[in-house]
Amino acid sequence: MLRRVVLQTFRQGLAQSFFKRNAASLSESAVTQHPIETSEEASEKSGSKQKNGDESGNTVVVAPPEFRFMYPEFLPDPTMERRNKLKEKLERMDMLQRRSIIEIPEFYTGSIMAVTVADSNSPNKFARFVGICIQRGGSGLQAWFILRNVVDRQGVEILYEMYCPLIQKIEVLRLERRLDESLLYLRDALPEYSTFPFEMEAERRLNNSVVPINPIKVKLRPRPWLERWERQNLQGVEDLNLPQRYYDRAKEVAKPWEKYDLMLQYRKTIPAEEQEKIYAEVHSQLQQQDLKRKIKRRRGPSSEQ
Amino acid sequence: MNQADLSKLVSALRIAVKPKPRLFASPEGPAGRLRKLKATVTALVKYERIELNYPRAEEAQGYAERLISDAIRNGDCHKHTMEMADYWLDEKQLIHKLFKVLVPRFKEYNSSYTKLVLGPKTYPGYYAGTAILELKGNPFPALQPATQNYHYWLHNVLLDEAKREFRVAKAESNTNLSEPVASKN
Repeated sequence: MLRRVVLQTFRQGLAQSFFKRNAASLSESAVTQHPIETSEEASEKSGSKQKNGDESGNTVVVAPPEFRFMYPEFLPDPTMERRNKLKEKLERMDMLQRRSIIEIPEFYTGSIMAVTVADSNSPNKFARFVGICIQRGGSGLQAWFILRNVVDRQGVEILYEMYCPLIQKIEVLRLERRLDESLLYLRDALPEYSTFPFEMEAERRLNNSVVPINPIKVKLRPRPWLERWERQNLQGVEDLNLPQRYYDRAKEVAKPWEKYDLMLQYRKTIPAEEQEKIYAEVHSQLQQQDLKRKIKRRRGPSSEQ
Repeated sequence: MNQADLSKLVSALRIAVKPKPRLFASPEGPAGRLRKLKATVTALVKYERIELNYPRAEEAQGYAERLISDAIRNGDCHKHTMEMADYWLDEKQLIHKLFKVLVPRFKEYNSSYTKLVLGPKTYPGYYAGTAILELKGNPFPALQPATQNYHYWLHNVLLDEAKREFRVAKAESNTNLSEPVASKN
């Protein structure tokens, strides 16, 4: 019988700093770098800033369409009872203010990241954790993401709040996407799929305009699992090889009509016109910050000479 | 806190959308709710004006607006929009009507595409009363008169004349007050 690895999840403030760093890397199988674009993404990743003219002839500045994938936390919580334009505007101002101090890079579920947090209890006063982003959520200043890694054969997940002032540095070591938006199934997968060495270095992107999609299919451990993965239509897992009764029961329990429920979709999302307004408001500042950082990075090694 | 779903781009609806949907309990459960709303939306697109109970009319209005706004935004070559049209319209010739008649009609609209008018509430009867749900630009005579106020109605003519007389009288009294010295001489 396989021993079930006990999962330990921490919030960033309580991360235990006495884990020994794994020298030997149990890196996963080779990652293919070719980008696979779905039909929707291909039409939306146009790349250039658009300037649309309105009737009066004044140019209306519009952010490029991929902004909503790069900065999803700028969109407010779609729950109608909680919408408040003033609160959202003030939050966006605070988010931009924080982003001017610290670089919060573009990342997606499936990217491997390293986060450095100020920690008064650790010997170096900083705690650094490397892991794969398995989920991201929240909106506004409460935006968070979860990093997962396996350290000394113990699975560890840490939830980081992106705009927390304790965070010193967020680096993206490998920028890529996976076939699913949520990689929670890695908890029930074989440990090699979640293991990343702490000494991993940032990888250079081959193609800057497209984010590659890693088509890896993960192998899960035998049941019992934390969730009923056979009911979730996961693209990124290998064939689950369960008895037919599981799939039959999944069909009985499924809600196929939800796919067609137009108002349910509407209430879960922000309309396109509002998205355009929000991103038009923030994109010029974000681009300025990006540009300043690029210039600093280019000047950095030359100024050391 | 939830993050907004990014997988689909939806147009903003120009009707008041309530935060929670109505449940419409039926023996089939949520599937039955959508089946009945499907029949309502199909009838609306077919007949362009239907009379039904108010709660279902309000729900169906949302779904009809979403369907039309998706058709306008994405056109008929978009796979997902075609799947939605295929599901929501039971009669397949109405899919042609949606893309070939309704989309060109509503393309330049800045307002909602449907109109919900409260209908008669007969006693004894359903507590919420009836409603008439119609697509704008339909060929039938209007339910409500286009102009609420008409300049040449008798009472409007009399009121306008009375207002003019008052203004004239006031102007005259002002001039009388300003030149009492002139009239003495």
